Amino acid sequence: MNLLKLNIVIVISIFLYSCVANQNTRDASLYAVPVNDFSRTVELLIANEEFLEAEIMKINALNPSIQRIILGADDFLKKENYTKANSELERAFRLTKSEGALYLRIAHLRYKQGLLKESESFASRGLLLGNISSWERLLLNVYLKN
Amino acid sequence: MKFKLSIGIVFGLIALATLIFSAALIAVIDYRVTSKLDGVLWTVPAKLYSRPLELAESIEVNKDNLIKELEMLSYQKVKRPEKSGQFSFSRDKLIIFLRGYKNQRSGIFDITFEESKVKSIKNQLGISEDLIKLEPIVIGGMYPAHMEDRVLLDWPEVPQTLIETILAVEDQNFFNHYGVSLRSISRAFLKNIQAGEVEQGGSTITQQLAKSLFFTSAQTIRRKVMEAVASLLIEFHYSKEEILLAYINDVFLAQSGKRAIHGFGMGAQHFFGTSIKNLEIDQIALLVGMLKGPSLYNPRRNPGNATQRRNLVLTVLNRNFKISDSELAQLKTKELGVARPNYRTETKYPAFHDLVRIELQENFNEKDLRTKGLSIETNVDPILQDALEKSIIKTKAQLIKKYGKKLSDIEGAAIAVDVSNGEVKAVVGSTAPSAYGFNRSINAIRPIGSLVKPFIYLTALDQYKKYNLTTMLDDSKLSIRSGGEIWEPDNFDKKFHGKIPLHVALWQSYNIASARLGLDVGFEAVEDMFSKLGIDKQFQNYPSLFIGSFELSPYQAIQAYQTIAADGFYTPLRSIREIKDTKGEIEFSYPYSIEQRIRPEPVALLKFAMQQTFERGTARGYSSEDIRSWNAGGKTGTSDDQRDSWFVGFAGEILVLVWLGFDDNRTTPLTGRTGAFQVWKNFIDETKPISKVKTSLPRINYLWTDMNDGLLSGKKCKDSLLVPFIEGTEPNLIPSVRRTCSNRIENSDEGLLDKLKQAFEGGQG
Repeated sequence: MNLLKLNIVIVISIFLYSCVANQNTRDASLYAVPVNDFSRTVELLIANEEFLEAEIMKINALNPSIQRIILGADDFLKKENYTKANSELERAFRLTKSEGALYLRIAHLRYKQGLLKESESFASRGLLLGNISSWERLLLNVYLKN
Repeated sequence: MKFKLSIGIVFGLIALATLIFSAALIAVIDYRVTSKLDGVLWTVPAKLYSRPLELAESIEVNKDNLIKELEMLSYQKVKRPEKSGQFSFSRDKLIIFLRGYKNQRSGIFDITFEESKVKSIKNQLGISEDLIKLEPIVIGGMYPAHMEDRVLLDWPEVPQTLIETILAVEDQNFFNHYGVSLRSISRAFLKNIQAGEVEQGGSTITQQLAKSLFFTSAQTIRRKVMEAVASLLIEFHYSKEEILLAYINDVFLAQSGKRAIHGFGMGAQHFFGTSIKNLEIDQIALLVGMLKGPSLYNPRRNPGNATQRRNLVLTVLNRNFKISDSELAQLKTKELGVARPNYRTETKYPAFHDLVRIELQENFNEKDLRTKGLSIETNVDPILQDALEKSIIKTKAQLIKKYGKKLSDIEGAAIAVDVSNGEVKAVVGSTAPSAYGFNRSINAIRPIGSLVKPFIYLTALDQYKKYNLTTMLDDSKLSIRSGGEIWEPDNFDKKFHGKIPLHVALWQSYNIASARLGLDVGFEAVEDMFSKLGIDKQFQNYPSLFIGSFELSPYQAIQAYQTIAADGFYTPLRSIREIKDTKGEIEFSYPYSIEQRIRPEPVALLKFAMQQTFERGTARGYSSEDIRSWNAGGKTGTSDDQRDSWFVGFAGEILVLVWLGFDDNRTTPLTGRTGAFQVWKNFIDETKPISKVKTSLPRINYLWTDMNDGLLSGKKCKDSLLVPFIEGTEPNLIPSVRRTCSNRIENSDEGLLDKLKQAFEGGQG
């Protein structure tokens, strides 16, 4: 438990530091953003898949109706019934496209299905949302490291 | 003696022949009985369903479209909904008695709206429900040659009331006879004499089932004997429960066009729009009463006869102590409650069916589709499909009125897809959309005209260090040697426009500037971009390609535009969601799949330029407020000599592409704006898109620039426009002539600038 707390503290600290670091390195080139510090955080999450999945499942949708569907999808995901988990997530996507929690789930689901490129693409798509939290942003970034 | 012996032999032979003949006949009947009851009866055609509409709290919904959908589903508008299939609606409140569908239970739900959003969904007890689901519309089926349509019921799904009613009316002695019952015949005879009308038939249920196995309805002694033999054989092979279940699934209840409605499962759907488990006793009585004469007692065609017959069945139930006297009196006063015939009950949306068939061919064989009772859940949105059909019909009529009869055989195609997930929502393949025939949405391969230009401009913008939206392009005379000939492209207005910013060249659709840009970025880069956009077609290196000689079908073209509308994320278009077996388990699914093919920032720049098509280009006419809230963008296209009129545009979450032209490729008087855009406009005006989700691209900055020289400007300066740039690629020169006006904006209107920036940023993505 203590180890878990320590992990979270490290992750948040590194993330906050990385945000500051990014602000200082505004570059004309789009794809030259240094990610070294940032990626250390990501690697920490990658190292423990169960921990990552647990963190993903803690992310709630802003809309309670969508959250209800997400809970169903999470159940299927835990039971490794990926077809039904996907079916539920797609159902939620038809109702809204602005929930970071959905992109996180589907990126994770595709990762579990071994569809790494899709997982990465869903994460990238989620990162375009304007209303996601920094923690969601960080978690989405994990899937860019597939 | 010898003579007697011969007669004996002859009789013997005759007896033997009769025996052999009888045995053969019985064998034939036995074969028919078992093959029907083991096979054909249990084959059910695959059904195609529209998407079911789900409502959720805090989700945007178009109320007008919702009411249209309820009408399509044959929901009846009343003051106070009291039974399944009814609703009431005031400005901000919908009360609906849902029929129930799969895991959505039947019942009354109270839905309130706040502007365009669902505020709350509550059940009858006032408890919040979060989500409700309307039943989908059946849009057709994969019918076998005999056109029998049924919904198979398994024993646990058959309501006890149905069993009791069938037995009370059709065969009270069912569990005690061996297929043929003299007692049943005599008792029916006596009952009918007493009642003064035919209350009961003399045939047992087994005999009635046997009757359906033979193709003739002639009342001959030979047939009666065969039926009796078949009945005995049925009783020999099958249990009573199996026979009753086969009967429940097999009885003929109605004819709907070419489709024959068989069984109570399908009957409940056909007449009441719901599953058998949701029927009330009077509705069951009506269906059972129809067995005596499906046409005579058809409640839609002969409601008087049907009411009389239903009441008679209710009386029988009362006599058998299944309902009380007071219940009988109350039930007799009830209306038939039959749903209006489902909005066009026959197979609808032929162009959409074509798409579904193409997708299915890859994973299913024809036989399975016609026999396994699969449920094919498609993506078709009946509201959008109807609006698209109406739009193309309406536009054709408007064009004929404007240009005369020479356009009477103008043809067209249109497709609407969900921008993000690639779901095909509506397709029409002709200006007569309900007719089967040549489906132009997938089969008409035509030059796409200026619809190609955004692909060329995106190729350039993707090279963001070299090109931005204000890069100056040259629209002066161009003359190059191509294929041994001199090629000199013209602009539509036959003028040259000199040096113009890149974004202006796109929304003004200048050919010469676009051709130069294509030549500058090169064939290889453009071919690569075509491939990224999802165009799976041989590419040929000729310069006229850059201004639209490239040929695509509307379906291929909209796939490429989906990738643009979705910010560079390619998603294969799909018309099917899932295919479920008779148990409701997913047999096959077509999951949402995406692949980031292009970086979002260059696409955002292109989408800005495409937005200008609406703001000031060939698709102007909408308010800036609408254009920005929908994050709309589009492009008109007109091929050589105006043979093809194209328009593609995204608004909110919907992307629509339209093509108009003649099948024989003759010239039309139409441009992209005067033809295809009018279909798009009619469609959008009818469906009113929901605002687009706001997305964020932090590396995009907005600056006021001049629309003539592309250099920095200010809001107060003439001909200035707020243009997005990828960070680090912004222009930095302010001509001295604009120093004063540009300073004024920076000092005094900074707040406003921020607001505008926010508005644009909201629209990007």
